[in-house]
Amino acid sequence: MTHALATDVAAALVARLTAMADDELILGHRDAEWTGHAPLLEEDIALANIAQDEIGHAVLWLELRSQLDDSDPDALAFFRDAGDFRSSRLVELPRGDWAFTLLRQFLFDAHEAELLAALSGSSYRPLAEAAGKAATEEVFHLRHTGLWLERLAHGTDESAARIGAALERLAPYLPQLTEPLPSDSVLERAGVLPSMEAVGRATRTRIEGALAAVGLDLPQVPANPGGRERHTEDLVTLLIDMQAVARADPEAEAW
Amino acid sequence: MADLGAESPERLAAFEARIAAGEKIEPGDWMPEAYRHQLVRMISQHAHSEVVGMLPEGAWIPRAPSLRRKLILLAKVQDEAGHGQYLYHAAETLGVHRDELIAALLEGRAKYSSVFNYPPLTWADVGMIGWLVDGAAIKNQVMLAQCSYGPYSRAMVRICAEETFHHKQGKEMVLTYARGTAHQRAMAQDALDRWWWPSLMMLGPHDSDSPNTPQLVRWGVKTKTNDQVRQEFVDEHAPELLEVGLEVPDPELRFDPADGHWHHGPIDWDEFWAVVRGDGPLNAERLEARRRAFEEGRWVREAIAAHAARREATA
Amino acid sequence: MSAAPGRPSGDGPRWEVFKQDAAGKPHQAVGSVHAADAEHALLMARSVHARRPAAVSLWVAPADAVLSVTAEQLAAAGDEGAAPAHGDTEGAPQRYLVFRKSSHRRAITFVDHVGEVTAVGPWAALRAAIVAFPEPPALAWWIVPSERVSASPDYEAAAWFEPARAKTYKQQSAYGTTAPTRRRRQG
Repeated sequence: MTHALATDVAAALVARLTAMADDELILGHRDAEWTGHAPLLEEDIALANIAQDEIGHAVLWLELRSQLDDSDPDALAFFRDAGDFRSSRLVELPRGDWAFTLLRQFLFDAHEAELLAALSGSSYRPLAEAAGKAATEEVFHLRHTGLWLERLAHGTDESAARIGAALERLAPYLPQLTEPLPSDSVLERAGVLPSMEAVGRATRTRIEGALAAVGLDLPQVPANPGGRERHTEDLVTLLIDMQAVARADPEAEAW
Repeated sequence: MADLGAESPERLAAFEARIAAGEKIEPGDWMPEAYRHQLVRMISQHAHSEVVGMLPEGAWIPRAPSLRRKLILLAKVQDEAGHGQYLYHAAETLGVHRDELIAALLEGRAKYSSVFNYPPLTWADVGMIGWLVDGAAIKNQVMLAQCSYGPYSRAMVRICAEETFHHKQGKEMVLTYARGTAHQRAMAQDALDRWWWPSLMMLGPHDSDSPNTPQLVRWGVKTKTNDQVRQEFVDEHAPELLEVGLEVPDPELRFDPADGHWHHGPIDWDEFWAVVRGDGPLNAERLEARRRAFEEGRWVREAIAAHAARREATA
Repeated sequence: MSAAPGRPSGDGPRWEVFKQDAAGKPHQAVGSVHAADAEHALLMARSVHARRPAAVSLWVAPADAVLSVTAEQLAAAGDEGAAPAHGDTEGAPQRYLVFRKSSHRRAITFVDHVGEVTAVGPWAALRAAIVAFPEPPALAWWIVPSERVSASPDYEAAAWFEPARAKTYKQQSAYGTTAPTRRRRQG
């Protein structure tokens, strides 16, 4: 290994990469559920692009993890139980309507853009390089989700009501998405991660600014999100479906 | 633009001479009404097939058993949306609007390929659909890429370039499962048992039952008959399936060294026509899924139209 | 910018899409998208028409702003013994983008961008284009008012067009004809 890390740093980085990968995988899975069902044929294609980007990022993070602990990305995705996932509850919620999906994607993109910008300065080169690559895609995501935020907020009464309802529903889950992991402090001290508190604050500022621009306020919610060990029931049912084929034939060496 | 004139034997002869000379007919050029009508029928039916065809495979995206397969299937079904999009565009160059074509589909007035009314029952079906259904579709599309109507030809050239990946990923899956665990092999064989005949049927009725074909061939819309395309499909796929150790569900399938072709047994056309008429197991369900997406998306389309109208009013 | 909505429940107006594959190559007509407004149309053009390499720039223009004329139509107008009897309402001169198709060869794209003319209307622009771009003989012309064209932002070109390159699983070259083998471990 050319980028040798101390044991405790490596373990903390495995936890950080797992949280990031699980968020991307589960969100990409939810976005992909729209394939064939979007409100416009062009948007069907566009959302499938976003889903591919997010699942592609999950692969990036799991491959980085694999370099640290020799784990198998597919085994992690398809043979872990819900309790071992480290996704945030925001990405686990069912896809809802178009307003819910696009607003959730916007909130996630806002966080990911801040996170990736910070990670591209990591002292751990493989992480910095992967973050730079993924960040390029987020620029376009934010254009797309930002466009929808504006159009739904300033479309019809119905679309404004729906985006408002989606915001009420999603806001309570935002703090958990941006909350640092307990082990992040190890990475921060080692210079592998920037201040995750600062990333969270920057995310919140970015989101509040974008919402204010279309006349929306981020609802104030109690800042006690709980850790990523806590999941929604929706993750459990999602994984039953997602893992069914792989688990039906655990002896399979290739798919 | 000047009226290019009503139909007359001279105009028709000039039109057919252009096609015989290998020229492309472009939007705005004179064309017989029957040519336009046949193209709208074929292209829109083809577009509907792509869009309805997203449903059976799309249902398996959530269950893809590896990260790579998940990305591949997502990209493949996305391509089907894209191909529907290109084809609706080609149809729109003939003076119809996509809204009208989609309305005809949702109201059950338009046809789409009957093959999408068969249900995929296991993950291996995704591979078999890629290898066989897309394999059959490509044979047809390569032929249609030669079409005399420019916009349809261009859509087909592009679709062929993209669709080759669909065929290859399906073949890669089936080869993997045929050499995989007992469970995977059984899935692959079961999938072949159910998809072989629908793949042959989707290339359309025999030439003797295909009344439009001679005119379409003369006008350069089709350059081969259904039976010719079907023969190409069987010649390519039958030996490859046998080579990987799968059993093709046709006891009469045989290679004839005399003519160098693989010959299949009789096709159950009663079933084909029943499925075309909409008696297929899934016709109602497929259309209902499309209608639901259309209705659930109505408020979204209204919102962006209202936003655009307001922006224009204040511009 | 034109954005006349289609029927409220429908897909909205159609926008022609022009894609440039590489610096120095012309923008080419690759198809269209339905979208409510120009900004949306550009994002949809990227999603639909640049989800595989290669692209470096996209333009969109409302389909109803495009004057499309084929060689056959021009010849027929000539046969009727007059210059095209389609005058333009006299107005201030403006710039028009000129596109043309000059080959019957099988292709993925239709007309190519060849340049610009300044004229008082689209028909005058077409007449100017025929003079300015005589060779090789055009099979079809498109004349598009420059002010109706929207372009993808050059400063974001990497974000719009680079991601498609990494998605190698969309390329047929990513697939062999033999089954893949893979190590497998429990994570």
